[in-house]
Order: sequence, then structure tokens, then C-alpha cells
Amino acid sequence: MELFRYSRSLYGGDANIIGASWDLFGWFVAAAAAFIVVHAALKFLTGKRNQEAH
Amino acid sequence: MAVTELKNNNAPGLDTGRVVRHKLVDRLYHWIMAGSVFALMGSAFLPIFGIKFEWLTIHWIAGVVLAVCVLIHIVRAVIFQDRMSMVVTPTDVKNGVRIVKRAMGQDAPAPVKPGKYNALQKLYHLGVAFFILSVIGTGLAMLTKIDTPFWKRNPYWLGDSDWGYIYAIHGFAAMFMVSMVLIHIYFALRPDEWHLLRSMFRGWISGKEYKAHHDPSRWPAETKK
Repeated sequence: MELFRYSRSLYGGDANIIGASWDLFGWFVAAAAAFIVVHAALKFLTGKRNQEAH
Repeated sequence: MAVTELKNNNAPGLDTGRVVRHKLVDRLYHWIMAGSVFALMGSAFLPIFGIKFEWLTIHWIAGVVLAVCVLIHIVRAVIFQDRMSMVVTPTDVKNGVRIVKRAMGQDAPAPVKPGKYNALQKLYHLGVAFFILSVIGTGLAMLTKIDTPFWKRNPYWLGDSDWGYIYAIHGFAAMFMVSMVLIHIYFALRPDEWHLLRSMFRGWISGKEYKAHHDPSRWPAETKK
């Protein structure tokens, strides 16, 4: 998987960066989902622990 | 509607009264910003994923609206609001350490109540500020490549490789914004944060919510009847 999109020269010249790779979009969504799941799990566990302590 | 700043936060009435959290101008800013961000994301990403439409006009107009909103917000925050309320303080760091320790089952004192914003909200704001300013800065540069009713395009302002980096920064910052927006919606929908969601619609939290979630010495209440 590439980080950038490149322009390819027909004549074999250097490739230029033309932007970020859109293939990464799913990874950004997955990172947010992972954060949400971890936060929700921590909140659930700490809430349960606090309830048991009282 | 009567609005009074109370220096004495044990004043009678706080239990039943309402505390101003977001003034109308700040709520308008938030929702116009939200609308423009959704318009920007839709017009940017839907065509990439195969839903074709005339996206460019929507995108640049929403971008200009966002840029103007953010400019007004910066002026308002720096000159007319308590800008220190959004700065991460040593107390926030100490609180963060206590929260992490307690989450891991270690002994640590209970975290103290935050002022108007907690550490996570401040860090979130810092992140959004960085990515929004990145998309706005690069987006404004990209406006020179399109014709609008206000100016003619000049695509030769920068070389091809420079434009590549501008587009790359714009794209990465936009994808980071997708993550940030998803996280923001998650926090807004959490039941323990509903009082904050309500305050973004109606402007206030109750006196009880204020006492339960905030340290009056770090955020003096402005109440309304």
C-alpha cells in the first residue's frame, strides 16, 4: 500500500507526487473505530469497578 | 433573558438554575462549521468512491465558508473569550495520569474536576485546530487553480511537484478530519455527555450538572434564569 498517489511519465521520467493515497481512507476510519472501541471498553470497565467499590 | 456572572458559585439558585456554556454566536459557529465540514467531506470523498456529481463548486464554497468561520472564531477566542480555558495545564496532565492509573487498576487519587473543558476536549481541540488549519491553508492555495466569480485561475503559481505536496497535505489532513469527526460524534452521543450535546443546541447546562462535572474555581458560572 502506498502513502501517496504518483503521476507516471509515459517516457520513463521521474514520478511526481500528486496527492495522498485514497487507499488509506479505510485506515483512518479504522483508527477512529479502534479509539472508540477502546474508550468505550475502558469506560465500561472502570464504571463497573467503581460500582463494585461502592 | 437575564444573564448574571456569579463569582460566588455556592449562590442559591445554582441547584435549580442554568449555567451558560455556549452563547448563541458560538453555537452558530459550531453548527455552520459542522455543516461546512460535512459538505466538504461529502463533496471530496463521495466522488472518489464512485458517486459522481459536480462536486467542485460545493467544495470550494463550503471551504470558503469554513475559512471565514474559523477566522471569526480565532478573533473571538483570542480577544473576547477566555483563551486559557482551552490550554492544557499541569493539572490536566496530573489528572490524565491519575485517570490512566485508575483505569489500569492501580491506586491513585481521584482526578479533580476540570474547568469548562477537560484534558481530552482540549487535546481534541488542538488536533482539530491543526488539521483544519492545514486543510484551510492548502485549500486556499488550491483556490488559485480554479475560476470563480471573484478571480481567474493561475495554475502556474507553483510548480508541479510543489502542487503535489500541497495536495498531499490537503488529503492527509482531510482524512485525519474524518477520524476526528467520527470520534467527536461518538463523544456527543455518549449518554454521560448528553448535557454537553444539549448545551450545543440550547446553550446551557443545569446547575446540578455544573456542580457534578466542573470545578467552579476553574470555571466561574455565568447563570441565567
